[in-house]
Amino acid sequence: MRLNEIRLNQFRNLIQVKLRPQPGLNIFGGANAQGKTNLLEAVFVLATTTSFRSGKEANLINHQASRCTIEGIYNKQDRSIEARLSIDREKAKLFEINSKKAYRSHDDRLRVVLFTPDDLYLIKGSPVRRRQYLDFALSQISRPYAYELNNYLGLLKRRNDMLRKDQGKSRVFDITNELFVKSAAEVALSRIRYVHRLQETAIPIYERLTGGTERLQLRYALSFAVDSDTINLDILREHLLRIGHEKRTQEILRRNSLIGPHLDDLNIYVDDKLARLFASQGQQRNLAVGLKLAEIYCFAAISGYYPVFLLDEVLAELDQQRKILLLQELARAKYQSFLSSVETIPSLPPDVAWYTVQNGTITRKE
Amino acid sequence: MRLTRSLENLIEQLQKLPTIGPKTAQRLALHLLKAPEAQAKALAEAIVAARDTVRPCSQCGYLTETDPCIICRDPSRDKALLCIAEETSDVMAIERSGYRGHYYVINKEFKLMGDRSLEDLDFTPLLSKVSSGEVRELILALNPDIDGEVLSRYIASLTAPYPVRITRLAHGLPVGGDIEYTDEITLRKAIEGRKEI
Ligand SMILES: [Zn+2]
Repeated sequence: MRLNEIRLNQFRNLIQVKLRPQPGLNIFGGANAQGKTNLLEAVFVLATTTSFRSGKEANLINHQASRCTIEGIYNKQDRSIEARLSIDREKAKLFEINSKKAYRSHDDRLRVVLFTPDDLYLIKGSPVRRRQYLDFALSQISRPYAYELNNYLGLLKRRNDMLRKDQGKSRVFDITNELFVKSAAEVALSRIRYVHRLQETAIPIYERLTGGTERLQLRYALSFAVDSDTINLDILREHLLRIGHEKRTQEILRRNSLIGPHLDDLNIYVDDKLARLFASQGQQRNLAVGLKLAEIYCFAAISGYYPVFLLDEVLAELDQQRKILLLQELARAKYQSFLSSVETIPSLPPDVAWYTVQNGTITRKE
Repeated sequence: MRLTRSLENLIEQLQKLPTIGPKTAQRLALHLLKAPEAQAKALAEAIVAARDTVRPCSQCGYLTETDPCIICRDPSRDKALLCIAEETSDVMAIERSGYRGHYYVINKEFKLMGDRSLEDLDFTPLLSKVSSGEVRELILALNPDIDGEVLSRYIASLTAPYPVRITRLAHGLPVGGDIEYTDEITLRKAIEGRKEI
């Protein structure tokens, strides 16, 4: 995928922007609070219809306007697609692809991989982050997964509600649980298969980042024990049913679901040691970069085209050597990337488009 | 500046209606105050009259002024077919399809207000209908969401002891649709619900 043109109207401090990015690496420089992150955010919002930053959706609209729009023209393989999102203070937001009203899961929507300083907590942070990492990546690749995950979260909420209201012994609970187990197995199996592919992709990338001195391993960690060599839907369902049954008394007591993929984790190992516990600062940074690059290449391997890579102020978190490695990767990559950086780039690779962002205005430097 | 109490109260009451936010409530309230008095009074009377006279039908749950309702009293309808719907509005939609059997309306939204759950729904009227032997087929016409799925299975389990055929509406391709442009989830459901020709 390649974003050929982006037009913004009243998006935060970017009142009126029209930009034709180049195919490879696009770097946006400038001081803080000038609009660099806002530009990356706009691309992300066009792709997903929601922001990666917290806060109210209405904050995306410039405070003096009542509505903002983001428009993009991009290539998906050899087709040109036009997407438009408008967010209004009064009305529901409107998402269109090729001038037709579209759902956020539309197959022709823009696809992105986002890398922010927050991702450096991917390794040592809580399991929620690692599950979100897997869920975001998988939902971009597979609409059935996005649907099933949503279904699962709905069933989990229903199940928890019933436990809270002390209905854990009712017939309706048993029926809800059957559906829950079916959905849980689908979600877990999709994640297991994805992590398998992710590992294949991540190993050579991590080798490159560490000069071949360290060995990476990724394992999907189920929150319940499975005593079987093979894993499939039936085996997962059967275990979820049985273990769920054993935990029922405890669940009723604690009024919460104690089984399911919402409790699973992604285990990352470096040289057989669990990174969550043992990785050094430097290793954590390599792992975060490696996992993000793996997300891109894995996407391409499964979908047949590359997503757009958005990197928001991550250079400041990396040491000199890793900075150069990453910039070289981006400059010669087959995918398009947008990088914002408050600091000046030491040795700029050739063929890089460089822009200055100042007070909501973006100008290309020659 | 504070609004007068009665205006504030009107806005508050309007805001309790579904899909009405604070801004719309305010606009509606001001509109009602500016409209001719007869128009505003007619609305108030219509609400009171409807509340006083419209009740769920004692046989099928359809919202009606006469009990039993017009559908239950219609002798030309097939008593062997019983379609289970969540709301009266669903019945109105199914009626347009030309269906000529009877209904059983759960009135889910009305009965599940507050902290009540699916388990609190009373299906005794349904079970007495089914046990009478008059009904041959139950058609589950519930929404294709989690609640609809749970309810369908729940009703199926409640009625399992009786000799009645239980079917549900197919999920699938929209009429006039094109397979190439149908999303994979709808297609999967359509394949699951395929039938012989
Ligand atoms: Zn009736």
